[in-house]
Amino acid sequence: MSAGLKLSDADERFRLRARAWLADNLAGEFADVVGTGGPGREHQAVRRRRQWERRLGASGWIGLGWPKRHGGQDASLLRQVVFHEEYARAGAPARLGHMSEQLVGPTLLTFGTAEQQARFLPGILRGEVLWCQGYSEPDAGSDLAGVRTSAVREGGHYVLSGQKIWTSLADIADWCFVLARTDPDQTRHRGLSYLLVPLDQPGIEIRPIRQITGTSEFNEVFFDGARTAVDNLVGAEGDGWRVAMGTLAFERGVATLGQQIGFERELNAIIATARATGAIDDPALHARIVDAWIGLRVMRYTALHTLSSAGTGPSGSEGSISKLQWANWHRNLGELAVDVTGAAGLVAGGASDELTEEQLLFLYTRADTIYGGTNEIQRNIVAERVLGMPR
Amino acid sequence: MRQYDRNEPPGLSEPTELSEPTEPSEPIERREMRRTVADFLDRHADIRTAMTNADGYDRELWRRGVDELGVSALLVPERCGGLGMSFADGAVLVAEFGRRLVPSPLLDTVVATAVLAACGTDEADWLLTEIATEGLSVAVAFAEPEAGWCADSLASRAASHSAGWTLRGAKEYVAHGATADLLLVPARTTEGELRLYVTRASDAGLRRTSRTALDHTRTLAEIEFTDAVAVRVDGSAGGADSVALLSGLMLTALAVESAAAARSCLSGIVTYLSVRQQFGRALGSFQALKHRCADLAVRVAGAEATAWYATESVGNGAQAATTPELAKVVCADALLRVAAESVQLHGGIGFTFDHDAHLFLKRGKANQLLFGSGQQLRTRVAEAAGLGT
Repeated sequence: MSAGLKLSDADERFRLRARAWLADNLAGEFADVVGTGGPGREHQAVRRRRQWERRLGASGWIGLGWPKRHGGQDASLLRQVVFHEEYARAGAPARLGHMSEQLVGPTLLTFGTAEQQARFLPGILRGEVLWCQGYSEPDAGSDLAGVRTSAVREGGHYVLSGQKIWTSLADIADWCFVLARTDPDQTRHRGLSYLLVPLDQPGIEIRPIRQITGTSEFNEVFFDGARTAVDNLVGAEGDGWRVAMGTLAFERGVATLGQQIGFERELNAIIATARATGAIDDPALHARIVDAWIGLRVMRYTALHTLSSAGTGPSGSEGSISKLQWANWHRNLGELAVDVTGAAGLVAGGASDELTEEQLLFLYTRADTIYGGTNEIQRNIVAERVLGMPR
Repeated sequence: MRQYDRNEPPGLSEPTELSEPTEPSEPIERREMRRTVADFLDRHADIRTAMTNADGYDRELWRRGVDELGVSALLVPERCGGLGMSFADGAVLVAEFGRRLVPSPLLDTVVATAVLAACGTDEADWLLTEIATEGLSVAVAFAEPEAGWCADSLASRAASHSAGWTLRGAKEYVAHGATADLLLVPARTTEGELRLYVTRASDAGLRRTSRTALDHTRTLAEIEFTDAVAVRVDGSAGGADSVALLSGLMLTALAVESAAAARSCLSGIVTYLSVRQQFGRALGSFQALKHRCADLAVRVAGAEATAWYATESVGNGAQAATTPELAKVVCADALLRVAAESVQLHGGIGFTFDHDAHLFLKRGKANQLLFGSGQQLRTRVAEAAGLGT
């Protein structure tokens, strides 16, 4: 009756295969992309990371969990986690294709027509076509049902007008999956449609947003007469909300296992700094370091617990618990990072007078509790959908 | 809101392997067992009566539990007439008793039988047979006035005689120590070696003094050993290992109990806020209160996962040495936090003796202190993690 505590031999072989492939491919030709693209460094080596995406795709590492008949590997959740961990452990660059692989791909697998699947999935699997997500708008952030970008049917096309914001990768992506209002007489989540829109066209303007880190990961996307063929409507017209919400993205509670390897690296760097500066001898800072270490373990156990319950336990809203847990932990880590540097944290100290890793972490992690659903929205979700409190 | 707008951060560090629990957290047999125990307790457990009687627990419930659930025989190996279940199975009972704050020597008996089963000596097996067949309860007499729960500093003495062993020393904060049938006692030989012994509570060489405990649902006793007759139960392999096992299992069981109590305490808050009307609406519809409950839910989820991990890791070499310490800290802290919020969110009623909120608050504080304070255990965790200053 005791639980098996090890990966099966086959899963362990999978791990070793992933590890070996990553080690081989990140040596030599792709050595320059190792460690690139992290928080506050989103625009590092973009051209090279696009090439890296193709390399991943060519070797079948994209779409691991997709069905074989659609070009995937039918890999179990556990193996996807294993790959995620090995990817992070190898110091492979931040993915550019994660929204392609984990958001629009699964949406097309669930809601797309056979023609749409045949047209769009291969480019994603090969790592050739990059997608970005056009959901948020200036007046529709946490309240996504407030989307106002319109799509009006004209012959064989939809013509889009409006503005999206916080669109990661829009400046380099090829396509955008857009939530737009196709029925102006309907309000809230009714009358929205899920459209696939090519970005390289005259009716689209993309402006990067300068963040508090000084760098730009997010963009504004302006649609002014942009067009997309009616064949690029996913699901029925007016059914976009269901399509957008029905996509179960890669379970975040599980995805965080790979993310946590990055967290651990950051924490270890902070501990090393604390030793170097002597901050570790400060009882208050030491206590915060120990709590951060314990918090990281708790996040790991929470993710493993979610993984172990996958398919049997309740799902969906657990993602909100995981998001709150890691976002707060990471934000606190950012504060700790600067605190252990002491007064040196007052000035830029990186190469060529840039902000230090600690300063970037401090600043960047303020976004963690905002994007992907703010802490406040996540708390509403947990209270209402997990705990069942009255609306 | 399941969309996320950015890349995963990359990592360069040495990660820990995933050679960790990955099976469904609750096998069907265990879920059924949980339901059986829950039904049993819902039918028969009366916390208020149990905590106010002279024994500090309900002997009739214990006797019934022996007959219907096999509470004393659960972890006793089949070779000794027991049910031969695992610690993780026993943890199901610990959780269900803990969820309801049932005053009972169950937790200590589960841990003690698990340790005795691991001893593998004839002496341990004889005792296990008796525990299983007679339905005996066992208390763990660990802490000492000087040493606290620090095993290295324990000073109680075990002397060898032709007929066996005798114990001399003082133990304190022994849960259900005044009423248990047997006592499991770590003590030092004249050579200074730490070993595990069992004495009968009826032995003339020991004096038991019940203390008024902060936590009404877990009575605590002081025990004075004056040449009490004892049996050594651990094998020649080394007593330090069995004492470490005892400590680890106690911490893990307290973590399991705390996480379960935190969950039920949170459920109580949510239920109350959902029915309590003020200003013409349910209190739970106020966002300020929702958000506090959501934060508690995050704490409780982390505590449950940590308790689960620690339980599943028992006996698994992959676990870090201080997983039980970490688990107890995380879970007891979570329980105290939820219980403190429970008192607050219930308003005036939460400050009354008649409401159960204070029982969770007291259990939470007691569990933070039992088997090592948060500060002591954090220090142990930090040292094991290489975070020493």
